[in-house]
Amino acid sequence: MTITTPSQASESKLPPRSALKLFSRLEVRMLGLALVIAIALSILSPYFLRTANLLNLLDQSVVVGIVAIGMTFVILTGGIDLSVGSVAGLTGVVLGLSLRHFPIPISAGLAVLAGAGIGLFSGFLIAYFDLAAFVITLGVMAIGRSLAYIFSGQTSITDIPPELNDLVYTTLFGIQSNVLTLLALYALAWGYLTYTKGGRTIYAVGSNREAARTAGLDVLFYSILPYVISGALSAIAATLMSAQILSIDPLAGSLLELDAIAAVVIGGASLYGGRGTIIGTLIGVFIMVMIRNGLNLLGVSPFWQGSAIGGIIIAAVLAERLLSPRTRR
Amino acid sequence: MATSGSILLEARDITKSFAATKALAGAELTLRSGQTHALLGANGAGKSTLSRVISGHVRRDSGAILYDGRSLDLKSPREALDAGIAMVMQETSLAPDLSVVENIFLPELRRPGRLSFPTMRRRADEILADLGQDRAVSLDSEVRDLSVAQRQLVEIAKALALKSSLIIFDEPTASLSPSEVERLFDVIGRLEASGCAVVFVSHRLEEVFAISDEITVMREGRTVAASRPTSSLNQTELVRLMVGRDLGAIYTGATAGNAMRNDPILSVRRLSAPPLVRDVSFDLHRGEVLGLGGLVGAGRSETVETLFGLRPRASGELTLEGMPFAPRTPTQAIRAGLGFVAEDRRRQSIVPDLSVRENLLLGHLGARSGFGLGYRAMDEKVRELLIKLELSPDRLADDNLLNFSGGMQQKIIIARWLLLEPKILILDEPTKGVDIGTRASIYAILRDIAARGTAILLISSEFEELLGLSDRVIVMSDGMSIADVPSAYLDEEKLTLLAAPRSSMARNQRVLQDLAVEHDGAAFWAILDDERIFCLNAVAASAATDLNFRAGSTARFEETPICAALAARSQDFVVDPKSGLRSLLVDVRSHRGHELGSVGLVLNPTRPTPPAAALRAAIVERFRATV
Repeated sequence: MTITTPSQASESKLPPRSALKLFSRLEVRMLGLALVIAIALSILSPYFLRTANLLNLLDQSVVVGIVAIGMTFVILTGGIDLSVGSVAGLTGVVLGLSLRHFPIPISAGLAVLAGAGIGLFSGFLIAYFDLAAFVITLGVMAIGRSLAYIFSGQTSITDIPPELNDLVYTTLFGIQSNVLTLLALYALAWGYLTYTKGGRTIYAVGSNREAARTAGLDVLFYSILPYVISGALSAIAATLMSAQILSIDPLAGSLLELDAIAAVVIGGASLYGGRGTIIGTLIGVFIMVMIRNGLNLLGVSPFWQGSAIGGIIIAAVLAERLLSPRTRR
Repeated sequence: MATSGSILLEARDITKSFAATKALAGAELTLRSGQTHALLGANGAGKSTLSRVISGHVRRDSGAILYDGRSLDLKSPREALDAGIAMVMQETSLAPDLSVVENIFLPELRRPGRLSFPTMRRRADEILADLGQDRAVSLDSEVRDLSVAQRQLVEIAKALALKSSLIIFDEPTASLSPSEVERLFDVIGRLEASGCAVVFVSHRLEEVFAISDEITVMREGRTVAASRPTSSLNQTELVRLMVGRDLGAIYTGATAGNAMRNDPILSVRRLSAPPLVRDVSFDLHRGEVLGLGGLVGAGRSETVETLFGLRPRASGELTLEGMPFAPRTPTQAIRAGLGFVAEDRRRQSIVPDLSVRENLLLGHLGARSGFGLGYRAMDEKVRELLIKLELSPDRLADDNLLNFSGGMQQKIIIARWLLLEPKILILDEPTKGVDIGTRASIYAILRDIAARGTAILLISSEFEELLGLSDRVIVMSDGMSIADVPSAYLDEEKLTLLAAPRSSMARNQRVLQDLAVEHDGAAFWAILDDERIFCLNAVAASAATDLNFRAGSTARFEETPICAALAARSQDFVVDPKSGLRSLLVDVRSHRGHELGSVGLVLNPTRPTPPAAALRAAIVERFRATV
């Protein structure tokens, strides 16, 4: 039976739009924005493009960059994780205390395990009982910071073996190991989200939970997993942060959640879930770090940084709404 | 208010597009005060969109509306209400947590100043009394506790509280029992008498003939017949106008009986999943199309969702190919060989942020247990399937399934399941929002896979479609499977009566009960055709008059002990030569003249025969009072 309806006929007559499609990709637009900022800064400050400054930029991207990976996973499912900063603080303290009894690999492992455990706790509450992610992670955020103070005895932990430094300052091809870790984690996350059943399920769950369930995807598991990943990555970020300064403060990681969410949003992800990419997040991280760095180089008061980054977040979301070919109701 | 018969509203050449789809392309409608106007069309014809344009829910792209002689350009439903145009939707516009009286006066809430509850209650009482429904709902009940029919009444009262002069009813009878439909028609009659213009949107033709003065038919966004007097049209002409050709052709190939009559592939016994699924049993065979018929709210969707592991099962046994089957998640059901095209495409099927290709492969992903995607391995199968479904492969590259027409979307979703080669394919309202052309090809696909041995379980609220496609129909009512009938024996009218909610039968149950007790025999309510009886309800007061059929069952006349009476259709008592039972059959009608089948009385053999004529009159009178 061949029946051609009017709608079929008109749809197939649409022009090819590969060029338009490329531009409609979020990452491409954001990469364009990042390049514009880079070019502007290199014109304004001759120091900006020097190798030392570029390596410095990468180094500054590590902590927020790693946390932003986990945040991307969470936001893709339509959730949010406000606890990343205080989980970084708490797992840093766990690392510091463990180092008094165990070697570095075991201590770092314990910190990551603690981070994943906290993520499992929040994720389970959120997904199994269908509770608001904002509220649960807000609660965990408060608990995490409070425990960090209690476990650390309200002071910085400074009796840290100096070899911990090696986690950051070992170099390969002239690049620091913390930067390599960052890039490796991004590559892994990109591969996972693009080429595995779990990655595509995370997108499907965030885009339409009910449809994902009806298609037989394991919605509960993949709603919890992002929080576990986010917790574990917060601990990795905390470990690298501690390794860099060889001191652990219970206050470490404060406001990290805001930077991570900002990076993900600037990178084009939708807070409703289902939309966003890991490459976009990396570009978002670079844009934020470049602006901070650039404003420093130009001698602008650091108090202006918040306004600049806030402005970019708002502009990014607005541009997304106005430029996106499809808008959500 | 304008005088009766004068033109109240004129819509000319209305167009409206949603993204890529043209919902309206040259729609026309003329409404007169004091008349009921039926707006007809197949699904997706644009009748709802046109109603929503007139009621201000949707803004038109172009075209003109003249209302009461002035040009009308509504920006919101609010403005429409102010202008006296109200739309009665099934339940969506009520606030479930508020009381009946608060809902009726919901539009008042935006007015400044204090609300006077005593005045509101008095006015609400008046309105309901005007409708002749003052005892149908309590003003203080919360709307969430009301039945669908009661909610509709609240909607109507809400429209009247605003003194609307134009009321649009959008598919108001979809979930009502026949007696509730009668009551609604009475209400519409009163509205007409008070000079109100009524628009009745429906696709149930019998109702349209019963109630409307004029008919406008739409097809593919256009008005194809404008304001024809109802009396000038017959059913066949209307169908031709609605679908653009004779509908008979669309179901060709729907030849029943080629199902392999082997052991059932799926057996369902006493399935329950409260509150909506209470007691469902049926068998599904390879190669058969089994229909689940019933009204909205009868628990059909909930039944299949339970079978698919989407809802927890409270009790009941399922066997799949002879083995116990207890899916707790859709994943288990899919791996066991089930596929499920859900009712609400947008909510339950489409993942808007994944590409069309990934949407097509989503069922594959759900069934898969590996770590990777395995998309490559499916390429060849996908290609073959697309050819079979007459879909062009470059559609897969499109990044948003929502840009497709409803029919195309549905084809992709059906393809999602066909790719898994399911043993059982469940389809819930598969042609909702699907254009007529794609419908025909979906029907052809279903017939084809059934012929290859797939068992199909189909839900459709369009009884014509259900009967046209199914080999057999399980009728559900109030969460129970109450009849299992080969579809060749059924027509829309029988199905509608069979599907009536059991709860609405309480009153006629009492009438039958009284009859049976008075005569110490049996009483039943049934539909009869030339050789079969479809029993809607039956009460036996005495063991001596066991009838061998019960509510929901279908029997050939010769299988019953009152064969002679059923075949004779006499005005008098008929004595059956075999069983010796004396029985009287009385045709019953509603007070609007709607045929409601027959009531039968079987006498106890020990009792004398009462005078038939007086008894007939009494039965007709008593039964009429129940609806």
